Amino acid sequence: MDHITDQEKVIEIKNLTKMYGNVVGVKDLNLDVHKGEIMGFLGPNGAGKTTAIRSCLALIAKTAGEITIFGLDSHRDAVAIRKKTGYLPGDFGLIPSVKVSSYLKYLLSLSGCDSTKKMVSLAKRLELDLNRKTNELSKGNKLKVGIVQSLMADQDLIVMDEPTAGLDPLMQQEFYRILREEKKRGKTIFMASHNLAEVERVCDRVAIIREGQLKVVEEIQALQEKTGKVLEVEFSDPVTIDEFKLEGVSEVQQDNGRFILTIHENLDGVIEAVSNHRILNMSLKTYSLEQLFLKYYAEEEEQERGDA
Amino acid sequence: MMFGRIAYMELRTGLKGLLIFGLLVIIVSASMPLIFPTYRDALTEGLEGANKVKLEIPNEQGGNITLSWEPLETATSYLVLEDNRSSMVTAKLRYNDTETSITFEKDFEEKRYYAVMAVLNKTSDTVLIGIASTEKGEDPFQELMQNPAYAGFTGGRNISMLEVKGFITFEFFSWWWMLAGLFIAYLSVSIVASDFENKRMDVMLSTPISRRRYLLEKFSAMSVIAMFIVLVAIAGLAGGLANINALGEFSAEAVFLSLMGCLPFLMVIAAVGMLTAVFFQKARVGMGITFAFLFAEFFLFTFGNFSKSLEWMKTISIFNYWDYSSVIIDNLFKTGDFIVLTVLAIVLVIIGIWVFEKKDIPT
Repeated sequence: MDHITDQEKVIEIKNLTKMYGNVVGVKDLNLDVHKGEIMGFLGPNGAGKTTAIRSCLALIAKTAGEITIFGLDSHRDAVAIRKKTGYLPGDFGLIPSVKVSSYLKYLLSLSGCDSTKKMVSLAKRLELDLNRKTNELSKGNKLKVGIVQSLMADQDLIVMDEPTAGLDPLMQQEFYRILREEKKRGKTIFMASHNLAEVERVCDRVAIIREGQLKVVEEIQALQEKTGKVLEVEFSDPVTIDEFKLEGVSEVQQDNGRFILTIHENLDGVIEAVSNHRILNMSLKTYSLEQLFLKYYAEEEEQERGDA
Repeated sequence: MMFGRIAYMELRTGLKGLLIFGLLVIIVSASMPLIFPTYRDALTEGLEGANKVKLEIPNEQGGNITLSWEPLETATSYLVLEDNRSSMVTAKLRYNDTETSITFEKDFEEKRYYAVMAVLNKTSDTVLIGIASTEKGEDPFQELMQNPAYAGFTGGRNISMLEVKGFITFEFFSWWWMLAGLFIAYLSVSIVASDFENKRMDVMLSTPISRRRYLLEKFSAMSVIAMFIVLVAIAGLAGGLANINALGEFSAEAVFLSLMGCLPFLMVIAAVGMLTAVFFQKARVGMGITFAFLFAEFFLFTFGNFSKSLEWMKTISIFNYWDYSSVIIDNLFKTGDFIVLTVLAIVLVIIGIWVFEKKDIPT
């Protein structure tokens, strides 16, 4: 774990608690986002992702705890932090009846940035027409305006709350490419999402939050390794399930002629066993984050039930 | 980053509405003086009615008063109202018959007023024949004008409605404060609350703009808007007065200063509007409270003029610090009042900033 503490922390959240009256928004949250990484912030709706993000940006006052961004206090030095931070809110409105380009230029000028180069190139890549009026935009186009707005001032930290909810799949691909490029250029990205595939695709690390509390922080790769691979195979000749009860196989399911194996190690031995038969169809997949997510919560709930 | 970008954007996006409102202001303020000649003629006719009622009072104590009036053909009977105030608000009935005169004992000391009214055939509608007072040589219509309800507008001054000065003081300004006041109240609330309601605040406050800066910019935009509508009203009123050749009687300087005096008055309303907007973060609630504030202040001022014992009410009303009638009648611009309202507006803006900095931005 040494290499993690060595890394420069861009966001440092310590014991963050935010209460809305008696309702818990976020409770005792500890989280670091390192320089140059894409950190996914995963959780179901209402888990507290938005609350945590908006506390970082001083849009809401925290009940307890401490947030440091670029080594500055999130509330006292909010304006200095915002100079270096781009933000895409989960829900936002535009100034009506102006051209998208004037709206974006206006926000650029508020950020103290006078180059429109990045704004224009981002709009082009996302196929956003800058000459349209803001009140004539579809939901997807409005979101594109938000994405361009959060990235156009070329700030060091980009905070995004559900950036792809409502973006069509082709645009999502382009958006992920843009994020990876930003990362290569040394930008730090903190992205809240409930889209597991998305986090899996672009993030380096993921923090999972639920009911206001942080459940786990893990590198995506480590998380995937931990859960292993899923092998799906279909045979043309009869096979018994016992043949796959091998070392390193944690679970075998049979669905007619199809077998689904969860493998942690000894992939070699499993393939050998499989090759004894005639194979019709076969696929090897990484355990999806979604399955992991469900499994994780299922375990958690079972444990809670057991405790009770 | 240069100060004024947010204010500029606000003005740019709201320009169309502002110009339409400006047009309304210029039409009404320019046409108001044009009504004056007609108004004066109608009032003169009414004043002549005063002579239709004759009142004889005894020289010694305890004598009889005789009230007589010209008959009206269509009258089925006459009513005589008696009161100690010219407004006849709490009048008591003295007489109800077809005779055109009445005599009664003077069993009181103070000044009394009499209104004679004709009750018409069938419809039982009434028509005012005239007014008389027990004070010798007094014009009861003039007295009516000094009635507390009217004095509220004039600061208790004796202004004749037969002069253009009086007409503008009553008719223009009593209309103007409401129109300009409500417009500024509405706009100052919505200029801030719409950023909450339309979820623009998150993006706005993720730029390196502090909340203080944001509110100051919005207030600046409101100052420009208030200045604009005041200047438009000045232009309209001056133009209208020039049209009826009344600009000598009512100097251009008086037009300018009497309306300029309402600039800090409007800025106080704007500051209240913005304060309620940041506190409640909802346009409807903010507007309700700001409108209520405006009318409460007006009633405080009106009640404060009713009697000496209620005078304290006046001092806490912003209407007390915009004395347009003193500019119009006495040619006196009260700089002290101007400063009082300016300071109040600044204090309210500071409170607004303080509240805003404490508040969570809603999602």
